[in-house]
Amino acid sequence: MRLKFILSAIVLCCASTLFAQNPADSAFSKIYVSIEGGEMYPFGDLIDAVENSFYGGVGFRYSYWDDFDGFVNFNYAYVKVRPEGIPYPGVHQFVGRLGLDWHWKYVKPLAIGAGFTCNWARADYDGEDDYLKGRGGMLLDNETEFGWFARINMPFLYYRSFTIGFNALWEQIWTLPERSNTLTIGVYVERRVW
Amino acid sequence: MKSSLSTTLSVLTLSAVLAGAAVDPEMEGMEAVNRDDGTFLVGGPTYFFDRILGAGGIHSETELWTPQKLRNRLLFNRMSLLPSWNPMEPSVWVKTGNELGDMIYQDVITETDRPTNRTPILEGGFRSPSFKGFWAMARGFQDDHYSARTYSYRKKMVSDEFAIFGENYPMFSSIYGGVGFTNDFVNASVLAGEEYLWEYMESSRWIPVHMAPRVEGRVDFWNFELTAAYEHAEYQDARVDESGERNEVNGSVLYKCGNACQKGMFQLSAGIAFRFVSDDGDVYTGLDNDRVLWPFMQLRVQPFRWLRADAMFGMNDSDWLVQDSVEMGMPVPVKGLGVTIGVKNISGTRLNPLADDKEYFNVKSVSDTMDLSPSGQMNLVQGYVAFADTIASVSLGGRATFWTEHGAETFDVEDFVKDGILEFRYGDVSRIDSWIKGVTGELWLDTWYEDWFKFRALAGFERIDGPSERFEVTPAEYFVAFTGDWLIRKSFRVSHSLRYRSDAQWNLRSPDPLVVKGDWYWDATFEQQFPRHGLYLTGTLIHVLADEVIQVPNGDYDRLRFVCTVRKTF
Repeated sequence: MRLKFILSAIVLCCASTLFAQNPADSAFSKIYVSIEGGEMYPFGDLIDAVENSFYGGVGFRYSYWDDFDGFVNFNYAYVKVRPEGIPYPGVHQFVGRLGLDWHWKYVKPLAIGAGFTCNWARADYDGEDDYLKGRGGMLLDNETEFGWFARINMPFLYYRSFTIGFNALWEQIWTLPERSNTLTIGVYVERRVW
Repeated sequence: MKSSLSTTLSVLTLSAVLAGAAVDPEMEGMEAVNRDDGTFLVGGPTYFFDRILGAGGIHSETELWTPQKLRNRLLFNRMSLLPSWNPMEPSVWVKTGNELGDMIYQDVITETDRPTNRTPILEGGFRSPSFKGFWAMARGFQDDHYSARTYSYRKKMVSDEFAIFGENYPMFSSIYGGVGFTNDFVNASVLAGEEYLWEYMESSRWIPVHMAPRVEGRVDFWNFELTAAYEHAEYQDARVDESGERNEVNGSVLYKCGNACQKGMFQLSAGIAFRFVSDDGDVYTGLDNDRVLWPFMQLRVQPFRWLRADAMFGMNDSDWLVQDSVEMGMPVPVKGLGVTIGVKNISGTRLNPLADDKEYFNVKSVSDTMDLSPSGQMNLVQGYVAFADTIASVSLGGRATFWTEHGAETFDVEDFVKDGILEFRYGDVSRIDSWIKGVTGELWLDTWYEDWFKFRALAGFERIDGPSERFEVTPAEYFVAFTGDWLIRKSFRVSHSLRYRSDAQWNLRSPDPLVVKGDWYWDATFEQQFPRHGLYLTGTLIHVLADEVIQVPNGDYDRLRFVCTVRKTF
């Protein structure tokens, strides 16, 4: 109850949303929070750049229309770099995602989703040089890049208000000189708030 | 008659509404980035050349002073909406975005041809709900786009990081806050803050201006609108140990034609705009007599519903400016069809009589006082005929204009000076003492389905005859634009706009003209709306198709970028 109160105060600033009479009204009629963990796998060129990395994060999912959910995820990963000669072992990566899940009736309980992603990265470096021109130098300062993703959300275990499921997410970040592609696989535990 | 008049009036406002309507601009005041129904060349958030095809004359819109821009910012000689100090509606909002193309992990594997840093856009603010009429607001915003190319040059000109946040030397960075009071009779506010700006000069230099503090008060009551601002502006060039400051008070008093007056045949508004400056040390521009007082009046005469005449007249001891128009809705016996004819005129000694009169140019041992207010006057006359025909959910419209201008403002270049990657000019603003003539044509098609789909196709061309080598900018000759808006299930908005604009050319800011090649642009906005909760999640992609080019001499690359906004209204 208290969690419900806090969430409604923070996210909605009001909590009078329980009846879905027209499509727009089903928004926030159901709300879920989750924790998630898993591994991120680089694809293509990126395999030479970084290692597979574990990540952890939190999520928030809400009904948007009857057959669509909206979701917001925040993840953190410590991403180790592969090449020699980089003056730091890894990079702190924060990822925020905003997307929609579609509960297509033919593939239920599977949901198919897509959305935009924002990747914020900063090298794990506390040396004296404040700007390095060569490889890895840009990451000494904050680097931000956007991208998009498609995902499959597959819940497989239900217990009371809890759900456990898999997320498989293919993501493309709009970096230069090449786009960066990753695959992320994770397990989540989700609790329905209302 | 009423319907055909409203149709024809909508014909005339269409061009103004066209491109900005659908896709969200990346920031208030940067609508020019998303428009191509004319010549819109962006050098950075604090400078762009914006001329709608069919506007008449060779000047850009922001160069021209009008009473509608009283509360815009005067950035050197342009009336700019950005950085806006207009209080927002009660809400809280956060915006962030970035030019696409940071490397992230590509950084550690990219040895050569490393792309330059991509730079963000940031904004956060709130305006509280009203408590017994009182409210508070604060806003911090800056746009780091268009800053990387000239970064290393500009960095040397200033003694600190010259921004509220970060180290990208953004073209503007602003923070302010204050309180207001709003009820049925009064709308008043006072805001105070600090601002960093790079202003684009007639010489093509970027001049850093640090305003600390800037204070602006506004009071609207009855039919009056009062505005007053105090600015303490610091100028510097750290390379040569120059510094100066300007204390400025500016503002306006406007008496507007009220509700009762608007029902009459004669509708009169009047006002005065003013600036008082006090310069000390090295300030790179000068205002004659350190002051300008600009009284003006507006008159609308509407003897019949189908006939309307507007006139604006302003005059002081050194300048005068007249803008007037007559517009007539033609009686047409066909249902749904409206035809309008009109004529408009702009005459005056200066496009912007409030702007500074001198620029002091001192670069690489070249010293010149540039005269920005030429003698003589300009005259622009434009005639037009427009029509719109609506059948069911389809509307077809068009407009043809002819314009001619004498005494158009131009720049007589004495010489150019190259300094690092930048190139400057010096000389004086002058006039083209011959008649320039132009013809334009625009045609558009609208179609819509209930409230969830709208589509518009629009095309225009312009042919100008005159000494184009003396135009600051030779405008684009034609454009096509397609915009579509969907509102899915009343809560998911997709707006997009696909456009092509032909070549435009800067003639006077470098020894060889800078051609801005014609290009396709695609912008799109996606918005999840929760109207019952007043919550809006918005993402906008800007200039997806276009090549990354420099659109303004000494400006920066126009890059593909993504901006997202979260807004909660109260």
